[in-house]
Amino acid sequence: MIQYSIEELQKLFQSSSFDKENYYKEVFKEAQYQQERLNAFVTITKNEAYETLRYTDFDLALGGIPYVLKDNYHTKGIKTTASSRMLEDYIPTYNAHIVDLLNRQGACLIGKASMDELAMGGTNTTALTGPVSNPWDSSRIAGGSSGGSAALVASGVVPFALGSDTGDSIRKPAGFCGVVGFKPTWGRISRYGLIPYASSLDTVGAFTRNVRDMAIVIEALSGRDDKDMTSSMSRVPHYLDNLDKNIQGMKIAVIQSINDEITNPLIKTNFEKVIQTFQNLGAIVSEETIPLKLMKALHPIYTIIANCEATSHLACLDGIKFGYRASGRTIEEIITRSRTQGLGTSVKHRLILGHLALATENQEKMFRKAQKVRRLIVEELNRIYKDYDIILMPNSNTIAPMLSEVTEYSLNEEKDILENHLCLANFAGTPSLSLPTGFVDHMPIAVNIMGRLFEEQTVFNCAYALEAALHFKNQYSREG
Amino acid sequence: MEFEQIIGLEVHCELKTNSKMFSSAPVTFGKEPNSMMNEIDMGMLGTMPVLNKRSVELAIRVCHALHMDIDEVLCFDRKNYYYADLPKGFQITQYRRPLGKNGYLDIEVDHVTTRIQIERLHLEEDTAKQIHYNDYSLIDYNRAGIPLIEIVTCPDIRNAKQAAAYLEKLRQIFLYTDVSDAKMEEGSMRCDVNISLRPFGCDSYGTRTEIKNVNSISYVQKAIEFEAKRHEELLRCGKSVLQETRRFDETINETITMRTKSDAIDYRYYPEVNILPIHIDHQWVLDIKKQLPLMAEDREKIYIEKHGLSKREAHFIVSSKEISDFYEETIQFCQDFQKIYHWLSGEVQSYLNNHHCTIYQTKLKPIYLSQLIQYIKEDVISSQQSKQVFDCVMKEGKAPEVIIQELDLRQILDSDVIEEIVNHVLDVNASSIQDYIQGKKKVIGFLMGQIMKESKGQVNPKMANQILIQSLQKRTQ
Repeated sequence: MIQYSIEELQKLFQSSSFDKENYYKEVFKEAQYQQERLNAFVTITKNEAYETLRYTDFDLALGGIPYVLKDNYHTKGIKTTASSRMLEDYIPTYNAHIVDLLNRQGACLIGKASMDELAMGGTNTTALTGPVSNPWDSSRIAGGSSGGSAALVASGVVPFALGSDTGDSIRKPAGFCGVVGFKPTWGRISRYGLIPYASSLDTVGAFTRNVRDMAIVIEALSGRDDKDMTSSMSRVPHYLDNLDKNIQGMKIAVIQSINDEITNPLIKTNFEKVIQTFQNLGAIVSEETIPLKLMKALHPIYTIIANCEATSHLACLDGIKFGYRASGRTIEEIITRSRTQGLGTSVKHRLILGHLALATENQEKMFRKAQKVRRLIVEELNRIYKDYDIILMPNSNTIAPMLSEVTEYSLNEEKDILENHLCLANFAGTPSLSLPTGFVDHMPIAVNIMGRLFEEQTVFNCAYALEAALHFKNQYSREG
Repeated sequence: MEFEQIIGLEVHCELKTNSKMFSSAPVTFGKEPNSMMNEIDMGMLGTMPVLNKRSVELAIRVCHALHMDIDEVLCFDRKNYYYADLPKGFQITQYRRPLGKNGYLDIEVDHVTTRIQIERLHLEEDTAKQIHYNDYSLIDYNRAGIPLIEIVTCPDIRNAKQAAAYLEKLRQIFLYTDVSDAKMEEGSMRCDVNISLRPFGCDSYGTRTEIKNVNSISYVQKAIEFEAKRHEELLRCGKSVLQETRRFDETINETITMRTKSDAIDYRYYPEVNILPIHIDHQWVLDIKKQLPLMAEDREKIYIEKHGLSKREAHFIVSSKEISDFYEETIQFCQDFQKIYHWLSGEVQSYLNNHHCTIYQTKLKPIYLSQLIQYIKEDVISSQQSKQVFDCVMKEGKAPEVIIQELDLRQILDSDVIEEIVNHVLDVNASSIQDYIQGKKKVIGFLMGQIMKESKGQVNPKMANQILIQSLQKRTQ
């Protein structure tokens, strides 16, 4: 039994009777076991971890706590592939800022987790190392793009893992895997050293199995980093100390145009139960609306903005200075072939789309227009936030799909609103937390709690109260 | 039909900040390849730019010197293209909102002053440097990320001479604002030329060509002359000029096609996401202006109008900022403007030429120069001796006073002492007195020579001469 929370481990590590060595032996045994079942790791850093543990100060805030990083965080001397052939052998020369922070606080990295290639995707089926399975049912997907991290927390291997969230890449797999997933405010945590997808949307975030642990992790990661000019100077509150289950009078908005889209009756029932629970806790829940036209625009707008930005972020992957290099007679030939062979289909689709939308002859009607609509969406949210502390939404209209149901990425497909609504928080940069709220067909489902900019605490408190009321926390699944 | 040349210039200038535009790696030249860079300059995935405030300050200085409007918001854009020397695959530049707009620079060619309008000045980062060998190329990242300013003129230049004058003047501004060493041969100042021809009197523009990266002012002149001739020949035989990008081959003094318009790159500019728009503090902009030194043309005017120097003299001084600064420092101690000019253009300049150095690299100090001038004026040393003192100052870096003492050069001004020497010389050269009586005036020169010899050149010549004649007259009475 190794599936402790961070807080439990902190206590255990202080007791002299606890066998740390044995604990870590079990952790790596479990990592190996779950790897065979879920394929969630790209790299298990057992040797590095044991080396670290020799010097670990267990009195530090996260002293000895094992964790996993999504494989798009730079780790000096440790392969960082972003699950792409392009970076198959890439060993960084520097650490991401958050890796330095976690090292300093004594946390122990045990592996790098699988993801959709270069964080582009929502299924974790495009990783170079193959699809990641859902711990609750290994014939189902974990979701993506941070699927490996979600699966490793949901299977109990580690108490926390880091993911990154550009559209819903933490919150969607969190919901599918039945763990807590959180992206804070854009600018709250430094992105230095995160392989970017789209900088204006990318957010560092985490997975845990309960809200208290999330408060601990986010507090540890937050704060100004002079290497990231977009990181906020504002003070980091003591999220854990300030956690408060009393949400009497908290104003919660539910969005009618989103709720109307729920077609799964069991998910609808669960969501209504959540609303009822909030009301019982003394929160004021009212219905608001966001015009359907804007909701339908979310996916196209997201696709354009994210992929336009991606074209420049990933332009350095040209085989010349970086990454997989194909042979060729001229520089142009090397670049073209390296990118053709080194990048996956879904990534290429997205990059071509981004190139097109940025091209001078299209930029006005695609990229600029998308920016304008993004602003309209943010204004709409701001209007709601004038009267509400929280916007509450279902996390998804479905449980995790079967691996066999996942189709090739298509640009033309009209997407369900409830597959893409979580990117609202990325457009607005607001904090957003997905909390598991029950099971449908033996698979976990979740709600999403979105707060105002830099009001992480409100989001945590809201989730903390709900978590306590639902008696639903510290879930994990070793088999299935 | 006669043709008019329409020329616009784009000048890139590296700013001499301590560290790079978006990283903490040092700005250097000529260091061992790939020793002066970090992961940001290499465009490693996940790295992020941190703006160097100093680069903005230096750019604002140039904006002021070019009389530009300065934007109150600093915005950056991404310029996207694939090239081996472009680490990130995009360059951070300013596209939508350049830092400076609507400036001008007055140039003088053949005594005619022309105002060249300047469209924009913007900040951007330099690329890495490619070094090509026979069958491979290497990349040096030391240059990657050095801050650059790009200054774009309106198509106001009409010939190669004006272009050269503009570049000279702009280079002088870079030096006077102290933002760059502006060495075209080392690439810290680079120039692209846009040129088209049109019949005189026509108010539309012809098809233009762009000549990239010309690396000296005289090459710019030659490139324009060649290109104008090429355009004219094409137009005269009824052919059209192709819109294209060319380069100047200095070995044959010709321009050569690099790429045609159909290969033109779409840079897909869009806002840089990792640097949010920055408000530029108005007071800061004003403070930068206040701290700017006077530019060459302002100094020249003062030297002529207030110091009474000729235009040629004033021009000599301002042609180097260092000489001009040295002059200004020297006049704090000594108001003999003409004398200072003579020293600077004479002994000092020839020393600099011989030693291939700049004035501030020598041991000469403004106060030393002023003292030297003062000592000559006060007859402490002769102008003959002053050369000797100057040489010692340059060699040993000691104050003229110390050198005069050490070499025992102080002129003898005491008439009793001089008279004693004169008498001694006359005693020894009694025959000379006879010659004098016989009217051989030449003997005075001989005797003066003896007096100088006897006194080791220290007697004041004027006084000695007077005393000698008096003594001769006394002895022959």
